[in-house]
Amino acid sequence: MLRKSFAEFLSKECPAETVTENHNSKRGYSSAIWKKMARLGWLGLVHEDKYGGMDGSFLDLFILFEEIGKVLLPSPLFISPTLCGWLLKETGTTELINEYLPALIEGKKILSLALQDEQGKYDADSPHMTAVKTSAATYCINGTRLLVPYAEQADEIIFCVTLAGEGENGPTLFRIDSHADGLKQTFLPTLTGEKTYALIFDDVEIPAANILGQIGQGNVYLKSVTAKATVLKCGEMLGGLERVVEMTVGYVKDRQQFGRPLGSLQAVQHQCVDMSVLLEATRVIAYQAACLISEGEPCHKELAMAKAWCNDAYRITTWIGQQLHGGIGFTEEYNLHLYYKHAKASELSFESSWYHKRTVANEIS
Amino acid sequence: MDLSFTKEQEAFRQEVRDFVTAELEAGTFAISSTGLVAEASREFSLKMAEKGWIGLSWPTECYGQGRSYVDKMIMNEELFKVQAPLGFHFLGDRQVAPALIEFGSDWHKEYFLPRIANATEDSTFCLLFSEPNAGSDLVAVSTTAVEEGDAYILNGQKTWTSGGHLADWGWILVQTNFDESVPNHKSCSEFIVDLKSPGVTIRPIINSAGEVDFNEVFFDNVKIERKNLVGKVNDGFKQIMAQMDFERAGMERLMQNYPIYSLLVDHMKAMVASGENGEFCGWVKDQVAQLEIEYNIGRLLCYRTAWMIDSGKRPTSQAAIAKMFCTQLEQRVNDLATKVLGPVSQIREGVEWTPFPVDLAACYLWGASYTLQGGSVEILKNIVAQRGLGLPRR
Repeated sequence: MLRKSFAEFLSKECPAETVTENHNSKRGYSSAIWKKMARLGWLGLVHEDKYGGMDGSFLDLFILFEEIGKVLLPSPLFISPTLCGWLLKETGTTELINEYLPALIEGKKILSLALQDEQGKYDADSPHMTAVKTSAATYCINGTRLLVPYAEQADEIIFCVTLAGEGENGPTLFRIDSHADGLKQTFLPTLTGEKTYALIFDDVEIPAANILGQIGQGNVYLKSVTAKATVLKCGEMLGGLERVVEMTVGYVKDRQQFGRPLGSLQAVQHQCVDMSVLLEATRVIAYQAACLISEGEPCHKELAMAKAWCNDAYRITTWIGQQLHGGIGFTEEYNLHLYYKHAKASELSFESSWYHKRTVANEIS
Repeated sequence: MDLSFTKEQEAFRQEVRDFVTAELEAGTFAISSTGLVAEASREFSLKMAEKGWIGLSWPTECYGQGRSYVDKMIMNEELFKVQAPLGFHFLGDRQVAPALIEFGSDWHKEYFLPRIANATEDSTFCLLFSEPNAGSDLVAVSTTAVEEGDAYILNGQKTWTSGGHLADWGWILVQTNFDESVPNHKSCSEFIVDLKSPGVTIRPIINSAGEVDFNEVFFDNVKIERKNLVGKVNDGFKQIMAQMDFERAGMERLMQNYPIYSLLVDHMKAMVASGENGEFCGWVKDQVAQLEIEYNIGRLLCYRTAWMIDSGKRPTSQAAIAKMFCTQLEQRVNDLATKVLGPVSQIREGVEWTPFPVDLAACYLWGASYTLQGGSVEILKNIVAQRGLGLPRR
């Protein structure tokens, strides 16, 4: 039921041209669609009722991301109410949660999360960015964060720094006004064209009150959130993969060459089946991780297996899809390229197959 | 099979290398890695013409230098390594001239060959083969040329025409026999069409890397003179198949992403030197070594086809194998580079965080086209299966 309502809304609101239009717009996403999603309660799908949420399960949210992956709707849903919402809930004071979480769920406040260093690496365990205590209640921050989604559109940004000071050290979460003095944002042109930025902190003064959670625990908070984020990313990839198979099979059924449908050729059929095997495999491995998270079970290995698999399966599927579409798939006017780009960008986010396979190997040794 | 080079060939390679090094240092062009010899510079082509490097392997009686295909491949390898801007003369030199030498009239040879060899202003060609409904099934072309007095009238649409927006001339495959009892492959002819003729409309197509390389070209009652027919009427498909061997026998498909490959190798060396995570370095070395092996195989496959051409053999199957091997390798080069460089590899050129001086993200996007152009991998497999291995068609 939930899936059907997600799918109906998204296919109606987000035809392919909307994706490119949004990427090319100043904001990067449609505020009209954003408001509608907020009214439907989707921004608070997994949050508690008392904050305006829907008390849904993680699995519900996973399904939503699978459906989003099919249409590639650009929005801050992933980064703001979901990832930052979880982080705030875990680290914020009661006052802060009461003030921020309902606003995130209503879509009126946007937060972003900066996880990657100046080389694009996820560095939560020992951030390449330092905060030095300059007075009893202030810190001075220097460093660079890359690939921060919607940084310019967000009201505030959460990030993790290494505290370097007497008696207090370690990875620590801060939040900062996204237009604070000394904070420079540069738009990054990327494969997908989504709004993403470099953030340069140049002697940025920040009050100690902006610390989120315990000092030295930033990486611990991020770990649980990035685990869930990684699985949601797998959901989005599964959705994208599913759509590529559907588009390609549809295309080769219609496309006439050699006086017959292209899809009647065995060489083409076998490639379609290869895609279909990848799809079914991706579905089960991704859902396994999603179900375990939903039930609160440990799933270190299952998560790693899911992301390692999705990275390769989605990319390979887009390669086959492109190959079977021929030249038309390589044009901007046909929307297959959106998935080709999304597959590579997703593979590059929340760690590579190499990284996750190493986790799998360590888990079984 | 002798795959070694003579002293003269090694010296020639050095001569080409010195030339490109000097040109790079002079800032004539910058290394890029996207469109298939998309960068066109008449200035650069004129320099090559002066050295006799356009038409290097055409016979001397046809305005060429009479050098071997291996020599030509040595030259191209060095030029492709830095992606020199060959676009102005490239298709004329590689494809049009050899076809004219084999099938063209005296007028064709007299008129076009010196122009191509000297990179004169009006000597740029594009290939008008594919149509919306004739892609892999090339014989299904439905653009028509109908005889009218001493001329032909062209009507129809071509697509995926690389460089069409820059070309003076089009090399076109059209239908000339409309008798339905005659099979398609005996109904096509080749013409040269002046793209400035009335009735020609060229519409650029934006590709998924956001760039313009190929075009749609429309013909609305375009009149061409009879002398622009190349070879025999209704023999066009047979002629084109022979030309495709020349297209596929080249090294451009292996070399287009050489700049990326070479940057990747440098990156690997730097990673190892800087003491990056040993497990990751081990994995990168394994993967890069695999590419190095494949790159060497690809290179030898290409030289083998050149050697066959020089010995008077037609390398249909070998050229198809070389091309499919090389195009698939090129895709893996870009893919591996993104994996090794990680998340920053999705950042396109124009900002300081772009990881390579060549736009790797754009190269990854172009990668989708390599296994399609000049015969998709599937068509090449058909050629090898049926013409190489002699497997039955049905």
